[in-house]
Amino acid sequence: MKKPIIFILLFILKWNGIIAQVNVCFNPMFDGSKLVLNKQYFIANSTDSIQIEKFKFYVTNIELFNNDQLLFKEKNSFHLIDAADSTTFNLMINLEPNINFNQIKFNIGIDSITNYAGAMGGDLDPTKGMYWTWQNGYINFKIEGKSNLSIAKSNNFVFHLGGYQNTFSTLQTIQLPVQYLSVFKINMAIDKWINEIDLTKQNHIMSPSKESVILSNKLSTIFSVSK
Amino acid sequence: MKIKTIVISFIIILLFAFASVDKSLFSIPKNWPKPVYNFKKNQLTDSKILLGRVLFYDPILSRNNTISCANCHSQYTAFTHLDHALSHGIDDRIGTRNSLALMNLAWHQSFMWDGAINHLDMQALAPISNHDEMDENIKHVTEKLQASQIYPLLYFNAFSDSTITGENTLKAISQFMLTLVSANSKYDKVKRMEDSFTKQEENGYRLFKQNCASCHTEPLFTNREFENNGLPIDSLLNDTGRKRITQNNLDYLKFKVPTLRNIEFSNPYMHDGRFKRIYEVINHYTNIQSSKTLSPKLQKKIILTSNEKVDLTAFLLTLTDKEFLFNPKFGFPKEVLLTSKK
Repeated sequence: MKKPIIFILLFILKWNGIIAQVNVCFNPMFDGSKLVLNKQYFIANSTDSIQIEKFKFYVTNIELFNNDQLLFKEKNSFHLIDAADSTTFNLMINLEPNINFNQIKFNIGIDSITNYAGAMGGDLDPTKGMYWTWQNGYINFKIEGKSNLSIAKSNNFVFHLGGYQNTFSTLQTIQLPVQYLSVFKINMAIDKWINEIDLTKQNHIMSPSKESVILSNKLSTIFSVSK
Repeated sequence: MKIKTIVISFIIILLFAFASVDKSLFSIPKNWPKPVYNFKKNQLTDSKILLGRVLFYDPILSRNNTISCANCHSQYTAFTHLDHALSHGIDDRIGTRNSLALMNLAWHQSFMWDGAINHLDMQALAPISNHDEMDENIKHVTEKLQASQIYPLLYFNAFSDSTITGENTLKAISQFMLTLVSANSKYDKVKRMEDSFTKQEENGYRLFKQNCASCHTEPLFTNREFENNGLPIDSLLNDTGRKRITQNNLDYLKFKVPTLRNIEFSNPYMHDGRFKRIYEVINHYTNIQSSKTLSPKLQKKIILTSNEKVDLTAFLLTLTDKEFLFNPKFGFPKEVLLTSKK
């Protein structure tokens, strides 16, 4: 029932050349609802719990496709998304009218060329706290928190994932089907990713490494699209 | 009408020709390779260089405003840390390496003894953040600069924007460092036919070309590569060099080949500053012990008589560039830092 209406609406909008803006909303989630920082989440069937204190990551190189055909590539496409600042969740993409896409593709993290390019501003400014200094390079994905499972000081865990040089490349490309055109959410099931880590054995990553690559590769499965 | 168009296009072409690199601020010495640094993305201007120089000499970059870049990179010692094998930073904390001399940085793709940094712009972040050096972070630095009396104006003059960002701060520091070109030693003058070597220096140059030049390649006097030069590991520091970055066993004990320019003033030598005198360095190279990752260029034994060692040293002293070491343009910017209250 809904579909024909959308198509008709779309047709009218397209005909008038109005559809020109897409609002992509990144939606970090935990246990099926919106992530709340510093909230104590209990792990299913146990007394163990987990709190997320920091959650930041880069979304870059956004592209829209119709099947295999590239329709749109965002220029200067670097977005830092920070769970502590909900204004960073919404990305507005300005399109030319009459672009009918059904796939979105983007990277989590900063590509190697950009990592070699020297000082940059905006979301890429090193004051944003997403930059390694002793061995330079961007942190692609940052999550910090507490869990009784972690044996580190104050039960902390710290995962700063990054690395761009050949064997330690952590850049992730995500491609998702989209059946909405103007507004949609990209959900991220963070609990699904955390569950892959044995916090009793692993509680920190803070440099490019094999472990950083392994945990980054597991990110690809936590994304889904909804209205 | 036609003449007018031609004149205008000529002026535009001229403007573009000068826009890329202002020759009075930076020029490539004759017969040198092309710089690696991309000047198009950070075009040199007087006001940006001045800002970078003020930042370089201002301890505001450190946590408690006590340590500036110049503390470990002083001009009179070719921008390194005189007399300290391992450089010390904030609260007299001692680092694990000998600070590198700063010169001719526009020709380098990687920085630090292990190449941990891949771009000159990002280099300053490392000492600013290092616990044993400045123990600060760039965000807090920009906040301190923004709250100071002098910096918003200096940034406005440089970038037409008084809002202080990490990007502009790093780019300004790069600009000052890019101007630190040393190319006016006796060696350079001899090459330009403005001077001539003594017999001893001439013989030293011959020995240098035979035994040293494959790593300390002219005219930069470094091949800009990482090599294991046969130094046994210091078991206390346990510094594995380039391997720490690549995690590749083939890079074990490899360190960046430093330039020999201004070697007379840049002592102590080696990544951990273990040698105080040039003769100790030369004696090391005539007594190399083989190891798995030893540079292939050192596999053939270097044999020098004691007279030849003296001649080689005489040549190395011709790499001293007094104009560079005492150029007031590179010195403490007292006109800015002393005349104003921060």
